[in-house]
Amino acid sequence: MPWLSLSIAIPLAAAALAPALPRRWPRAPQALALGASALPLIFLAVTWARLDTGQGLQLVEQAHWIPSIDVAWRVAVDGMSLVLSVLTVVLFLACIAYGVGPRPLSRTAAALLLLLEGSTLAFFLAEDFFLFYVAFDVTLVAMYFLIALWGGRRRRYAALKFFLYTLVGSLPVLLGLIALFVVSEPHTFDMIELIRHPAFRDAGVGASFVFFAFFVGFAIKAPIFPFHTWLPAAHVEAPTAGSVLLAGVLLKMGTYGFVRVNFQMLGPAFTAYALPLALLGLVSAFYGAFVALAQTDLKRLVAYTSINHMGYVLVGVAAAAAATHATARRVALDGAIMQMVAHGLVIAVLFLVAGFIQERLGTREVPLLGGLMRPMPIYGTLTALAFFAALGLPGLAQFPAELQIFLGTLDVYPAIAAVTVFGIVVTAALFLRVLQQAFLGPTPRRLAGLRDLGRRELVASIPLAALVVAVGVYPPLVLTAITSASRFMGAML
Amino acid sequence: MTPLLAAAAEQVKMLETKDISDLADLAPLLALLVAAIGGLGLAMALPRERQRLVAAWVATLHVVAAGAAAGVWAIGGFRSVMGGTYAVDGLSLALTAALGISGAVCVALLRPAVAGTDREGELYAMLAATTLAAAVVAGASDLALLALSISLLSIGSFVMTGYLRRSRRGNEAAIKYYVYGTVTAAVMVYGLTWWYGLAGSTRLAAVGAALPGAPTAVVIASSALVVVGLGYKAAVVPFHFWTPDVYAGAPAPVAAYLSVPPKLAGVAALARFLLRGLPGDLVGWSTAIAVLAAVTMVFGVLAMIAQRDAIRLLAYSSISQTGFMLLAVAALPHSPAALRGLIYFFFAYAASNLAAFAVVIAVRREAGSADLGAFAGLGRRHPWWTAALVLSLLSLFGLPPLTGFVAKLAVFTAAIDAGQAWLAVVGIAATVISLYPYLRLIAPAVLNRTEPRLPRGTRSAGRPLATALVVSTLATVGFGLAAQPLLAVGRHAAILHEAPAALPREGS
Repeated sequence: MPWLSLSIAIPLAAAALAPALPRRWPRAPQALALGASALPLIFLAVTWARLDTGQGLQLVEQAHWIPSIDVAWRVAVDGMSLVLSVLTVVLFLACIAYGVGPRPLSRTAAALLLLLEGSTLAFFLAEDFFLFYVAFDVTLVAMYFLIALWGGRRRRYAALKFFLYTLVGSLPVLLGLIALFVVSEPHTFDMIELIRHPAFRDAGVGASFVFFAFFVGFAIKAPIFPFHTWLPAAHVEAPTAGSVLLAGVLLKMGTYGFVRVNFQMLGPAFTAYALPLALLGLVSAFYGAFVALAQTDLKRLVAYTSINHMGYVLVGVAAAAAATHATARRVALDGAIMQMVAHGLVIAVLFLVAGFIQERLGTREVPLLGGLMRPMPIYGTLTALAFFAALGLPGLAQFPAELQIFLGTLDVYPAIAAVTVFGIVVTAALFLRVLQQAFLGPTPRRLAGLRDLGRRELVASIPLAALVVAVGVYPPLVLTAITSASRFMGAML
Repeated sequence: MTPLLAAAAEQVKMLETKDISDLADLAPLLALLVAAIGGLGLAMALPRERQRLVAAWVATLHVVAAGAAAGVWAIGGFRSVMGGTYAVDGLSLALTAALGISGAVCVALLRPAVAGTDREGELYAMLAATTLAAAVVAGASDLALLALSISLLSIGSFVMTGYLRRSRRGNEAAIKYYVYGTVTAAVMVYGLTWWYGLAGSTRLAAVGAALPGAPTAVVIASSALVVVGLGYKAAVVPFHFWTPDVYAGAPAPVAAYLSVPPKLAGVAALARFLLRGLPGDLVGWSTAIAVLAAVTMVFGVLAMIAQRDAIRLLAYSSISQTGFMLLAVAALPHSPAALRGLIYFFFAYAASNLAAFAVVIAVRREAGSADLGAFAGLGRRHPWWTAALVLSLLSLFGLPPLTGFVAKLAVFTAAIDAGQAWLAVVGIAATVISLYPYLRLIAPAVLNRTEPRLPRGTRSAGRPLATALVVSTLATVGFGLAAQPLLAVGRHAAILHEAPAALPREGS
């Protein structure tokens, strides 16, 4: 069975089907969306069982498409793409359960969510640059509509800014892949081939140009300072589910690109520029943390912490590129990939938490909140868990990831690793401050009557929180799969 | 009698005596001829309210011509016919197929615009004659035939441009087109007389055999004159200046027509006459064309930025697209991938450009203007038109998986294979810049929710226009997603090469 192709095709087919559902069944769109997301989860589980952790990209499914320019339907997995695909499906299930726009989920919303899910899976599983790029652009279109239709007050402006910024940001990627196509001999869009036989084996002018074309495109997506300016606007106006998907899944496209393209295909160039890029990651991490510290809007605050956490990923990948020792490289890279997954889970809970309070009070301003723990104990506990996970508390998902990044970096750039640790202090300060202001202390009278989380909210958030704990307590759950990604690094080894 | 006229007379004599079996290979041209002559007869015979039958006749025969081109390719293969004056080969057949479909689409675009006017049927007949001329230009391998067919192409274009007799801008456009067109055609014919003088024959194969032995300065000068005339037809910078004024002054569907068949025919003739007339990159013409390509791409894109009128914007867009086609022409002597790229580009450009024009024509009919402001709120009023506009413009820009991406990739690859990587870099830079002007047209349509006040009694698109819109948009997407068949056609194409030894000896 072509499990991977089916995982992509089923959500897309369901997306085409959703608008045709009869109006008489108001719950049908949500049921369809849940079903069409559950199947890929099963298929990916089968794939996980079949994954040989001793190998790199594997389980290739291939079909001719445009042989003249060597475009083909090529999908495959390694540990990195598999765990990110599973993360994608899990977050989509949570978002479909939570809903977006009018309730129950409308046909349009179901169609857009499924389109976004199918194209995101296509992006992570694609091993053909043509498919990779098309999937990338389709996610932009679907996300544009999710924000523009169900976002906040200035949704159209925010949707447009998001769309234009990331579309223009995708152009360097397009340039880069065209360059790789024309330089490779024979010309190919096959990403596996481009990893096995890199088009550039040095860090010369051509390689550097292509490297930075890809890097800038992915850095906008990730986002890395100073390419992050689209992020706060998009997040503040996006609906809750939109923010969850944007931060949980779509940002990972950028960091996935760092590893899959910049690291695996253009390794020597990455090694040459590893130090400045690690410093850029460090600046990004601190910038995100400090700007988040200055926010009073809970959602903006959470959005800025993404920049902080994605900065760590860049530090980890750069350290892996610079590492001369195989073990250090693997530790740093494993940490970076693990951080993508952990951050995806944690940020999803954080945005859900911000959405829950927004829905109840119509505001997310931290100074207007206080003593929420008393009327809403479950909500308070969930928030505390997410906050502690986000600041890297041992036993929760982000701790093993960040620890590995630091250990890997320590071997290559001890100074950077040492400074990075202080970033955690800043994030700890900002999360603890919010916790203290909004949840502890006396409850103002107007907040005393708030009801705690309902069934729908629990269904969406508790499984994610459970995964945060599970991955934190037992990292090998995902780490064994991830390690296979770093086994096979093309030109690097 | 001048030598050229004498040669032409000789050709006519040869045509009369030539084996009738050649006619089967010329079936596509015959279909277009029947379209033109039959169309004229129908136009005269039918009353004014029945003139749509002429449109149907001409459009159908255009499609038949395209089918015949495919049939000749499949059955007959490539050969030189009519005493070696016309090449039935990959370039001419593929282009004839593209011209047939584009011509039919243009008839559908024209019909709503000219329905009920006097001389409506004659306009369709004139369009058929012009397409015929373009198809002859595409395969002409004889200097006299080229001069003749370019003249016919020009006359048809002038008449169509000035169709609206009462429009001052239309008249100005027609006169401008006519004056510049005849002057550049005369310059080209002058260049062709030099070639004739050097070769002693009007046959392109003879020219190709003679020019390598001729003095370099003479070859350069005469070839430059030929490039002027063909470059004018194709709207190559610096012979492009007529394009925006003529497109804006002519009826919009005629502008759509002018942007496809005459241009593609000009590029095809340029490819054939340079490759076969100046064999093996003689006097470095490849580099000269590469420079023209670079200038045309960049100039077209930069000039697009300043436009406020959608038709003028598309005019400059078509100029820059010519530059990308020239990129493949420049690579012809050095890379086998060049012809494939050129032929695929013809189809991609025709589909995307006609789709974009179709939307602009529909908007202009409704809002009375093609100013960028008229597109505000289009997404709310006409989501399908907007989708077509976005797809066609992004295809012209070159976004995967639309056909424009494959087309640009194919010509860039050819340029790099030909050792002209710098040209591909210029092309990529021009492409990147072009996103801005294309987005300027897309943005108001997609974003603006304010409804512009429409004049009362606005007309809907009408069925022919809608059909043209759907066909060209589907082609824009389909040629991209299913690019393989067209790329395969391009790969098997060839520009016929006649050995000089096969030439008959001609008395001088």
